Formats: sequence, C-alpha cells, structure tokens
Amino acid sequence: MKKQKPLIPQPPRWADKLLASVLPYDLFEELQGDMHEQFEVQVEEVGLTKARWLYVWEALRFCRPYFLKRRLSAQADTMNNYYFLINPYMIRNYLKIAWRNLLKNKTFGAINLFGLVTGLTTCLLIFLYVNDELSYDRYHEKADRIYRIDNELKFAGNYFDLAVGPPQMGQVFKASFPEIENYTRLRWKGTVLLKKDGQVRPVDRVAYADSTLFNIFDFKFLSGNPATALNEPNALVLNETQALKFFNSTNIVGQSFVTDRKTYKITGVIEDMPKQSHFDFDVFVPMADDEDSKATTWLSQNYNTYIAVRKDANLAVLQSKMFKLNHEKLALELKAVINQTLEDMLKSGGAANISLMPLTDIHLKSNKIGELNGNGNPDNVYIFSVIGFLILLLASFNYTNLSTAVATNRAKEVGMRKVMGSTKLSIVAQFLSESLALSFIALFVSYALLFVLLPSFNELANKSLSFQQILQPRLILSSLLLMLVLSLFSGAYPAFFISSFVPSQVLKGKISKGFKSGWFRNSLVVFQFSITIILLVGTIIIYRQLAFIKQKDLGYNREQLLTLHNIGSLGDKAVSFKDELLNISGVEAASMSGFLPVNFNRSSNTFLNNPTGSLEGSVSMQNWTIDEDYIPTLGIKLLKGRNFSKAFSTDTTAVILNEVAAKKFGGDAILGQKIYTLNGIENKEMISYTVIGIVKNFNFSSLREEVTPLSFLYGKDRGSITLKVSSQNLPGLISQIESKWKARIPEQALNYSFMDEDFNRQYESDRKTGKIATSFSALAILIASLGLLGLVLYAVELRTKEIGIRKVLGASIQNVYALLTREFLVLVIVAMVVAFPAAYYLMQRWLKDFAYRIDIEWWVFVAAGVFTISIALLTVSFQAIKAATMNPVKSLKSE
Amino acid sequence: MGRPYLGEFEELVLLTVAVLEGGAYGVTIAAELKKRTDRAITLSGVHIALYRLEEKGFVSSALGGATNERGGRRKRLFSITGLGKRTLDEMRQVRNELWSAIPKISFS
Repeated sequence: MKKQKPLIPQPPRWADKLLASVLPYDLFEELQGDMHEQFEVQVEEVGLTKARWLYVWEALRFCRPYFLKRRLSAQADTMNNYYFLINPYMIRNYLKIAWRNLLKNKTFGAINLFGLVTGLTTCLLIFLYVNDELSYDRYHEKADRIYRIDNELKFAGNYFDLAVGPPQMGQVFKASFPEIENYTRLRWKGTVLLKKDGQVRPVDRVAYADSTLFNIFDFKFLSGNPATALNEPNALVLNETQALKFFNSTNIVGQSFVTDRKTYKITGVIEDMPKQSHFDFDVFVPMADDEDSKATTWLSQNYNTYIAVRKDANLAVLQSKMFKLNHEKLALELKAVINQTLEDMLKSGGAANISLMPLTDIHLKSNKIGELNGNGNPDNVYIFSVIGFLILLLASFNYTNLSTAVATNRAKEVGMRKVMGSTKLSIVAQFLSESLALSFIALFVSYALLFVLLPSFNELANKSLSFQQILQPRLILSSLLLMLVLSLFSGAYPAFFISSFVPSQVLKGKISKGFKSGWFRNSLVVFQFSITIILLVGTIIIYRQLAFIKQKDLGYNREQLLTLHNIGSLGDKAVSFKDELLNISGVEAASMSGFLPVNFNRSSNTFLNNPTGSLEGSVSMQNWTIDEDYIPTLGIKLLKGRNFSKAFSTDTTAVILNEVAAKKFGGDAILGQKIYTLNGIENKEMISYTVIGIVKNFNFSSLREEVTPLSFLYGKDRGSITLKVSSQNLPGLISQIESKWKARIPEQALNYSFMDEDFNRQYESDRKTGKIATSFSALAILIASLGLLGLVLYAVELRTKEIGIRKVLGASIQNVYALLTREFLVLVIVAMVVAFPAAYYLMQRWLKDFAYRIDIEWWVFVAAGVFTISIALLTVSFQAIKAATMNPVKSLKSE
Repeated sequence: MGRPYLGEFEELVLLTVAVLEGGAYGVTIAAELKKRTDRAITLSGVHIALYRLEEKGFVSSALGGATNERGGRRKRLFSITGLGKRTLDEMRQVRNELWSAIPKISFS
C-alpha cells in the first residue's frame, strides 16, 4: 500500500524498525497502526517535520519494560515448545530420577553397568588394536607414494609369489621411468657378531641397504648424516638400543667395531624404529658389502625393492611399462642361460608379472615369499572387530531387555508425568537421557579400566600399545561417539515402549501387558545366547586344533633336542667342538647344520631332470646342507636308499629327497638317477647330483601348509649344532657344554634353545588367538547370563503372588521351579538351533587355513549346548528355587 | 475493597473508553484525553493502561477489520465491561460520600 501512494508523508523508517524490535509480536500490528494514524493527524496539525519528531519521541516512549517483558516472555514460551527436550530444569529432574532409580534397583543397575563397562572396554581395546594394525608404515613422510615392486613367477608347474626382485631391478627401472623418484633395496644379512672391548655379542637383525634408504624412509638420526651414512663400504648404522648396549652413548659416529673379518665404521645412530613398521632392523650395512647385489642377472630374486614415485605418476601406466621392460630383460636372460624363449615359457602356462604393493598395505595384506618380517594377519583384525562389536551388542541388549522389563515399575511415574503435561517426546527424552547417563558412567569406568588392563592386553595380543595411545584425541572422540550411539541404540526401544503407556490405564495399575508381550525381549535373549554358543563352539574348536598341532607326528622327533646357535663363531674349531660334545655322557647324537625344521634359515633352488636346461619337469625345492648325523639325530625316517656317509667320497655330489620331491621327479624310480642344477647363473654350467635316498615327509614349515619338496645335500653348514640328549640332569649337561664353549671363545656367551620350545613359538600367534577367543567367549557368557539373571529376577518379582497362590493351592516346589525355568530354557534351546549351523560354517572356514586339521565333531556341539544350558539353568535356578521355597504367607501378605 | 486497584490514569482511561462507547481505541482515547485534560498524553502510556485494564477485567477488546486507513493495519477496539462500569459507579459513590462528608467550614 505504501508503495502505491509514495507521496503520503511517512514517519521515519528507523523508528518503525525500533518499534518492530521492541514490541510484542501479537501487539505490533495494532500499536503501529495507532502510531501511524496519530502521525497522519499530527502532520496536518503541526507539519511534517514536527510530526516526525513527535513520532520518534512516541516510538522511544514505547521502549518500556512492560512491552519488553511481554515480548520476551512470549519468546520464552515458543522456546519452551521447541526446546523442552534440553530444558535444563527438566534435564536436572531426569538425572535426579535416573539416579534415584539406579539406587532403588541396585541389582539391575549393577547388571546394566557391568555389561556396558565390559562391552565398552572390550570395544576400546579392540579399537586400539585395530587402529595400531592399520597404522603400519604411515609415519614415513612419503608413505602414500612408496611402493614395493613384487614379482610373480610361474613356470613348469612352479609358482612363486615374491616380495623380492632381481638385484638390478630398482636401478634399471629408475633409469628408464621418470615417474620413479628414487629406489632402495633391502636384504637380510642375518646375524652379525660385533666385538667391543673383548666382548662379542650377536646382533640378529642386520640388513643390507642402499644408501638411498634414508631418502625414501624416514628414520630419525640421533647422530650422523642420513644422506651419506651408507655411502662408504664397511659403514654401519645402528639403532639407539644397540648403541647404548655397546657404547652406552648414542654420540658414537666415527667409532668402530672390529670383527674377525673386517672393521665396521659407525656412520649413524637412528632412533629405534617404530613398532608399526613392516621391517624391523637393528643394524644397516651398505648394500655395496653384498657382492650378490652387483650381479646383473634377472633370474635370481633376493632383493626387496622399494620405489618412491612422483606425486603425479600414473600407476597403471607405470606398472604396464614395468611389465614390458621386465619381460624384455627376462627374455634376454632366458635365451642366454637356458636357451629358451620367453614366448615358449609363456605359452606353456608360465607367467612373469610385476605388481606395485603400496607400502601401507604390506603389513596386513602381503604374505609372500621373501617378506622381511612376519606380517600381520588381516583375519585377526576382522575377527577382533566383529567380536568386539558382538560383545557390545550383547551388553546393549541386556540394557534394552532389563530396562523394558523394569519399565512396568515406572509406569505410574510415566502416567503421572503425562497427566502433568509431559508430551510423549519429552518422556522419550527422559529415558534416553537415563541411558545416556548410565553409558557415560560406564565409559568413565571403562577408561579407568583401560589403564589397568592395557599391559595384560599387550601380552595377550602381542602388541606394545602405550598409555599415550589411550589418551589420543581420536580414541576419546570415537569413544564418546560410540557411547552416544550405544545409549541411543540400547535406550531407544525402552524409551518408546515406556512413553506409549496410556496414563488412564497405567494409573489404574493395568500394565502387565509389559511382560507378557515379551517376544521382543525373548528374541534378544535368543540372539545373545546364539552369539555365546557360537563363541563357545569356536573356542573349543580352536583349542582342539592347537592341541592337534602340538601332538601331531611331524615326521621328526622334536623332544630332547638341544640346539646350540652361532656355531659359525667357532670357525674351523666347530668340527672338533662337535666331536668333543659327543664325549659328554647324556649326549646321544650331534649334527651340525643351520637348517632346522623350526627356524627360518631356508635356501631353495631349482633342479632339472635333464642336463640340457629344459624347464620341463623341473622342481623348485628347499635345498639344505646337512651332515651325515642329521637324519638320525632328528629321527627322520629314511624310506629308500641310504643316508650320507663318510665312507663314500662321491657323496659330495649326492642328494637325498623327501617324498614329495621324489614324487615330482617320478617316484621311487628316481633313486640312483641324476638330477641337475645350474652352478651359478653367470657361468651357465650344469652340475649333477645322484639321488641316494628318499626320506619320509616331515613338516618344516607351518602346519597351515602342505609339506613342500625338499632336498638334502652333503656338506658342512656351521649354522648350529643340534644335540640329542637323554640326561635327567639337563642343567648339569648344559653347564658342561658351556664350559667347553668357553674354553674356545671366552668372550662370547653360548646361545642355545630346545627344539620343542622353538616349535611351539611358531604357533604362538595361534595360541594367542585361542586365548583371546577364550577371554571373549567367557565375557560373552558372563554378560548373557547376567542378562538372564536380571530377567529371571524380574519375572520372579512379578509373579510372587502367583507363586504364593499356587503353593497355597498345593503346587509342589518342583512345579513352581519348572514353571519358572521352562520358558527360559526354551529360549536357550532356540538359540542353539540358530547357533549351531552358524558356528559350524564359521569354524569350517577357519580350519580351511590349516593343511592339517581336525574334523568338527558332533560332541563339540553337545558340549557347548550342555555347558550353555547348565549355565542358564544355574542362573535361573538360583532365583527360581528361592521363589519356589518362599513361604506363601509372606508373599501373599506383601502389598 | 474487594476489587483490583485502579490508578488515577487508569481511571481516566477507563472513563474515556466509556465516553467513546464503541469507537474507543488508542488514538481516539489519547486525543480525547488530551482535549479534556490538557496533559501530555503518550500513546504508549494509554496502551499500557488499556492492557492493564483488560488484564484486570475492566475492559474487553476485539480486533477490528482491516480498513484502508493507517496502511491497512487493524485496530483494537476497547469497550467497558460490566465490572468496569460497576467499579466506576462504586468509585463515584465513594467520592460523593466523601465530598458530602467534608465539613463546610474548611471552605470558608
């Protein structure tokens, strides 16, 4: 309207705005109307200018407490309509009522709290574990663009999935492809004996590394220059721990170690590598010290090669270019060495592939030949995550169940609240805030528990998580989030259930409906027990499988075997030392060889059945050097032919095969025949070995895998000496051995171990998985039984009168007992029906990983079932008997 | 006195509402008061008095229909309630009684 008559005099606009901001909404229109009307009158009476002044004056007079108060209180009313959910007064009231209820129902509160604390603590621990597993190798600045070049080779029935590559691969690829910024190689050197002040100590974790190592990976230098540390031959970079051990200082650049063969000059000290690294070395020495690294062959793979690519590199293109160049190089070599073309090899089903393995994936996803270290197990990450989630779910179901059951007690309260004007939504808010409060307390307790439990969890999960990791903001934030979700999830059903009570009925006391329509609660109980049973069956099977492995006949005797390590330090005196040991009473046999079924000292080679170099019918196999005492000492069974013997001078070119290898060469007929192998790739010369014996298969790698082909060659490998002992007095025997050792090298301590212990160490991680599974299923059973206990307690409380009347009318204790236990037993039985097939399926999958495994037997299920039923019965009976034996006079009198 | 308190200005406003019978709203009341009392009357003061009177039950109000005047804004029309009339009556009676009770002497 104003716009249609712009010539009509108008009051100052800002005064109108002032009015709009002060006046109550409901009065604004009429008051402004009056103002404008009076203004129009005044314009005519006193003129425009004065009228405007008067208008402003009048507007200012409207700024009075009366109007402001009316406006604000109206505002507050609308606020209340929207925000009653977070009204501080109401929240205070909710919390007060929640606290009183907790105190009133101490048992239920304790069960709920215990369940939530257990669930949250488990979840937090697992979160720490998973987080740690996922954070491997991420601390390097270039972590997201470092890749390892992996090779995959397939020829004539042999298959290799390798984490290693040919010596010159990194160099050649870097020179050819501009996408590659830099490369570095790593190779295990094995144990080095370092000498300082007349003391010799073995350092086990030593690697050859290119000088570019510290350019690609970030290791913090405490002293020395990372750019040049590995440039010179005989340089040595060691970590803080070793530096302190030998020198008691980290400022030792320029000092040196003198060993028998050479002098190492220390060029750098690095901080100990973070635990979250896929390789873990104490000492690095220059790659130049390793003669093999200078070889130009493309047919031997021994080097873990890492590249850092440019940020803009196209990986797919790079990979295909690498693939092509790799084929070219291989083709040249194949032609020259074994006179075969790459095409022939590919045509006959062979393959030579290259893949780029992202650095950050190596720990969890890579399990190839030539890994620098045992990598993590992604299965554990999945299994733990799922179990943590399940336990939290169990605890949350407990809460849902108990709160719904107890809800009937609070029906009157809800009725009252509704009568007094509570909306349904605000009752939902009330009950959700209760579960939130309880979860919050639980979280608090869980955090405290975390500090207490961390050391034992580290022990259990083979981790070294620190207290700082508990306090990292990421964990705190996600645990708060977890708590929020948990409380909403477990509080939602009770909140909506309770808030739907109709006040008129509830206040009359009519809501037994709450317990009778219990299908929801029953299905939660069924679910809880299903999970418990699955975990129980899983635990039994894991334990049975581990026991099976322990007792399995491995094909050699690992009892009463003592292995002495670092025999190499004795040099030429090793043989006389061995002979001398045989004189000790109690030592039955002794064998010298570094290759043992229980260690990781391995060497493999490809053998051909013809001297021409055709790969047709070749067998790639383990190739161990042993002496004539090896087979009898370890109790390996000779099936055909004979053992090595000093009597035959030709035995230096003899070979003994295991069954699998013999079978690959055509069975027993190979006995007495010759097999061939390349004597070094450079000189292209074949050497032949006569097969003189076949031994029974024995397990020399994990029982997860089938036995692979193996060959023994005759020679002196000075890795270790293995003794078969039969003494009752082992400490005495060992001290005798030690004194003989000391007589030869007084500056070095004797290092020994028992073979059965070494064997068990190989299954350490499985044993730990078993332990963790046991702890978790114990927790699950505990939580589920507590939930059941809560429900029974409540059922008994509800039916106190009924039981009293039944007893008065002549029901026996047994009748009442059966009445109370029956419905809960039905639930457990339904749970079994659900759980057994699921457990069978899951455990079948777990066992599949083992080449040697147990069958899942029916009694496992019976045992789990009986155990679960007894636990449930025990829980229920405790209350049921109490209720059944109660004097009816008391229960009927109570009102 | 059983009825709510009535201030002097409120009493004037209430009387004016009665005088204007049917046509009483903020502007007319203020104009009428100005004309008769020669006081400085503000609209805000009048309105507060009106709302208070309404809260106390002496006047009732209703929003009038929108007209072309005053930019189409509606006005709130006030009328006196039975209680309001009775109260005015009572007050007048009390005053009359008091007046007649004054000794003549004092005016000589």
